[in-house]
Amino acid sequence: MAAALKQLNYQISFVLVQPNGGFEPYLWRHAIEDGVEVEHLSLQNGPGREIVRIGDLVSYFEPNVPAYSIRSTSINGPLPVTLFRQPELLNNSYDFVVVGRSRVAGRSAQQIRIVSKDRSRYGYNLWLDQDTGLLLKLDMMNLQGEPLEQVQVTSLHVTPEPDEYFSRIEAEKMPDVVLLNEAEPVPGRWKVNWLPAGMVEVRRDMHRLPLTGKMVDYIMLSDGLIDVSLYLQAVEPGASENGWLKYGANTLLSLQKGPLEITVVGKLPPQTANAIANSVQYIEAPQ
Amino acid sequence: MKQQKLENLSAMVDGEQSLEELQLDAHAEGELVEKWRSYHLIRDGLRKELPPELNFDISSKVSAALENEPTILSPRKRLHDLPVIGHVIPLVRQGGQFALAASVAVAMILGVQQFNQPKPEQPFSSAPALAIPGMQQGGLSPVSLEQTRPLPQTDALEQKRRINAYLTDHERQMRLKAIQQGKEHQQTSQPESQQK
Repeated sequence: MAAALKQLNYQISFVLVQPNGGFEPYLWRHAIEDGVEVEHLSLQNGPGREIVRIGDLVSYFEPNVPAYSIRSTSINGPLPVTLFRQPELLNNSYDFVVVGRSRVAGRSAQQIRIVSKDRSRYGYNLWLDQDTGLLLKLDMMNLQGEPLEQVQVTSLHVTPEPDEYFSRIEAEKMPDVVLLNEAEPVPGRWKVNWLPAGMVEVRRDMHRLPLTGKMVDYIMLSDGLIDVSLYLQAVEPGASENGWLKYGANTLLSLQKGPLEITVVGKLPPQTANAIANSVQYIEAPQ
Repeated sequence: MKQQKLENLSAMVDGEQSLEELQLDAHAEGELVEKWRSYHLIRDGLRKELPPELNFDISSKVSAALENEPTILSPRKRLHDLPVIGHVIPLVRQGGQFALAASVAVAMILGVQQFNQPKPEQPFSSAPALAIPGMQQGGLSPVSLEQTRPLPQTDALEQKRRINAYLTDHERQMRLKAIQQGKEHQQTSQPESQQK
């Protein structure tokens, strides 16, 4: 599957169905041009959102924001990238079970179930095309087995030649690369004592939140399939409320512990978010 | 006479008559007190001044009404002839009445509150059960969610801003993460995978 995604020329239309009934249709093109991977993901409804990748340069064109590029080897869109590119990295956190065959989007498909090892994360049902190994359907289900977020491919075309769309892209005219000022790693003042199986800390820094402009300590956790953000912020006692909510498949949970507000955001069950938030521990900074 | 009194009462609730004119001996007339209550309720309803939540208890009335309902028995009484089942059935029926009465009341309240928070249950072993202690459900509310309980306006706005900030930042951080991964990817000489 991973190989197919990287090497084939294909055009896939898919629809992302959200738990609140909303849906977003996407068009996804991928090709190899002169040995370089090019990829285009476009949101078809509304003002739209275009993401183009040429090699390791990803450019985002979105309404309200000036276009920008970043250096990356994958598009971070509605599909979990690692699952398609390096599924072997998920072996620590998820079990893969081959279930059987069925028919999806008019093609015969192989169904695979993906279950987190300790049942602390949402499970997936994945259907791959029998011939090409490309994605046909992906359901994210909660612990009761009800679908949360679904990706359904509606058409899939594999072509020997790259789509002509890519010949119209002028690589020189892509927006400038945003350079991130590499913040030096913040000394570990925080310790997260409990993490779901296979989840690791991938990043830690300190930055300002958009909109409110407040400084937060930030930790990113990832198990390859989902990314979880952990925010730590000093607040006045009683200034914030404990609570959680669901936003699409995302869970946002906010917990106040003494003068600290701990917020967890990610596509994971609220119980897990709560367990992570509760396990955060403040360590006195070694002077 | 009684009709006259009720009309007077109604007029008074509407402010068209004064208390003196009504010639009340309210202590004696419990029925009028009841009417007094419902007239006010009707008036509030007509003027659209009803509070968002009405807690008057109608379960007793529904229960009473069900009690008075003639029980329709099927002519064939084969089941009832059996001694044990014959005893169980009335019990079940009675239980059903209470359940029905209670559920009508519950439906009223829920209908008003629009209680649509998903409520996860059955946690996996290591996490505590939800409802998380000290956390009220639906205390936070982002723009696209229906508000489950009225919050003071400023708080709600401030909260929405905060929540949106977190969600936006989460989105952004996920993209930035890809950058870092890209770097690591290049350093670790690109492990090609041929799974599946």
